[in-house]
Amino acid sequence: MVLAKHFKCGMCPRRLNTAGGLAVHIQQVHKLEPENLPRIENALPGRDGYEVEIFGMEGIPAPDVADYKRRKEIELGLTAGSITQPPPKRPKTENRPLSEDELRAQLEAHKALMGAHETPAPAPADTNQSAVYAATPQTYATPPTPVPPIPTPPVPMMPPGAPPAFPGMPPPPGFPMPPGFPPGMMPPFPPPPGMVPPFPPPGVTPPFLPPSMTPPVIPGSTPVPPSLSVTPTPILGQPIAPPPLSLPNPTLAQTNPDLKKKTMLKYSEPNFSPDEVRSRHPKYYVAKDTVTSAPGSKTDAALAQVASETGIFVPEEARGKKRARAEDFL
Amino acid sequence: MSDSQLEPKGAPFDGISSLQFSPASSNFLLASSWDSTVRLYDITANEEKTKFDHRAAVLSSTFSDASHAYSGGLDSSLRELELESEKIHALGQHDDAISSVRYSSETNAIITGSWDRTVRFWDPRAPTAQQSSHQLPERVYFMDTVGHRLVLALASRLFHIFDVRKMDTPEQTRESSLKFLTRALACMADGQGYATASVEGRIAVEYFDPSPGIQEKKYAFKCHRQTIDDVDHVWPVNALAFHPTYNTFASGGSDATVSIWDHKVKKRLRQYPRYTSPVAALAFSADGTRLAVGASYTWDEGEEGARSAERPALFVREPGEEVKPKGWGA
Repeated sequence: MVLAKHFKCGMCPRRLNTAGGLAVHIQQVHKLEPENLPRIENALPGRDGYEVEIFGMEGIPAPDVADYKRRKEIELGLTAGSITQPPPKRPKTENRPLSEDELRAQLEAHKALMGAHETPAPAPADTNQSAVYAATPQTYATPPTPVPPIPTPPVPMMPPGAPPAFPGMPPPPGFPMPPGFPPGMMPPFPPPPGMVPPFPPPGVTPPFLPPSMTPPVIPGSTPVPPSLSVTPTPILGQPIAPPPLSLPNPTLAQTNPDLKKKTMLKYSEPNFSPDEVRSRHPKYYVAKDTVTSAPGSKTDAALAQVASETGIFVPEEARGKKRARAEDFL
Repeated sequence: MSDSQLEPKGAPFDGISSLQFSPASSNFLLASSWDSTVRLYDITANEEKTKFDHRAAVLSSTFSDASHAYSGGLDSSLRELELESEKIHALGQHDDAISSVRYSSETNAIITGSWDRTVRFWDPRAPTAQQSSHQLPERVYFMDTVGHRLVLALASRLFHIFDVRKMDTPEQTRESSLKFLTRALACMADGQGYATASVEGRIAVEYFDPSPGIQEKKYAFKCHRQTIDDVDHVWPVNALAFHPTYNTFASGGSDATVSIWDHKVKKRLRQYPRYTSPVAALAFSADGTRLAVGASYTWDEGEEGARSAERPALFVREPGEEVKPKGWGA
């Protein structure tokens, strides 16, 4: 390790690593008493003493480090604490085959996303990035790198020559679409026969994968459920898998106090009401902005009838458009 | 006749979210439900008079006068229901589910509270129905209004008390005196205060007047519990309703019981025999002669509990003398 020698002796050309080193040098070489050492030249006001011993990056007083980080955060326009706090842990992913429902839900989510796309090909880089479903922000920072060929795992679940499962699905997270590819088209690496591209389970943020890494399918270890190859065509009109509840204001989060007696609490969630939990059940869930996924086509039809009778505005048009566009990608 | 109760025909198929009697007659009862309907019952004729289909579960509905009602729910939109002509008009949107709809006779406004952390005022006759929107720190769970006061029970155990004539700042903000999630709210008929209940079988009685002498009178008590084999089983209190003349109140819990309380003398006046399902909603008629009880599963145990839940049921009692405080009028 080569360290800069910032502490120059005022009486000779000698430079030293630390303030303490300089002090010893002056005392021993130039025979000056410890009490009348000269102040350190060219130092910041208040930092011209010999008290603080910093070697390399070690020994910096904690308040000064904190102060520096705060200044840097302001300078870079980051949110307070983003440098100081360690980066959040990578969320756990369940490495398991997805159920039919989950796959269907993800396809729905993806179609909703695709339906929202206006930009024709070639799309600018940023819209391409938005095509990466539920990708972590880190993903965006990754340059689109060609992916090395993935070794074909010996999972002979699907006959070779079968259509690649779910065309129009987004590339797995961590694989940003290279620019120039219209959204919805398959990325330039067709999945090898017999392999199904993995998708994150709903509600779980996919981890950041370096582009050179193989998607988390370990050959032979995760058998594809037979149901998957039986019904590759999803059914339209399935409700989108409801996202989990989140606190709008986490600083107000509540915790239940301890109970003294032996108690059986029938409802113990402190931050969400039973109604909120219920609203996220697929039976009741209504996606924000889209009134599309209201359960029960019967009520929809009834409403449409009411609308035609009374001339009341029902946001039928918007949803029709969206759905039509989603269908284009099937 | 104290134990006689009617069971109006055609109860909702799913959870009963709110009940309200017509302000003009104790003969008409409005019920909103998770089955995406609002139903109007004629009690004497024992029939379902009208049914309004919605796109999603309805969380709250209210009368404004004998022929108009308003509803809001998971699809975030406020609707006007014309009870005579059976027409529906969409008045506007929140950004998230509407949890509570109230009518303020003081200002002749419809007030909606939502999980989008706003409370909004509406004038159905104006070209743009929405008159104002007021930001809140948390999701609105429950609302009630008496005189010019509007009480909001928010998530994170917060309470905001507003003067409806001056909505820019809350008149008072309070933290719940109950330590667990707020599950019900009702204003006293005499306008002096309100009662609130939590998921931990407890009810608090609170007063508006901030003077220390009055605030000293507030208290909380345990209810809707049962000790089985030395373990305290504690159910959420889902519904509260004040009697319009006697100012006593009824509480309904997930233990499927309804109790009548005299909060002045801190006594229970009556407990009704257990229903087959949790009590989800309660309402007294405007003249106080009838008490409606909605018994249906309240999602305390999630989807699991829904499978074993009993069919929702609606009851109308005529409580008579038993809701009258001892020594009333003496």
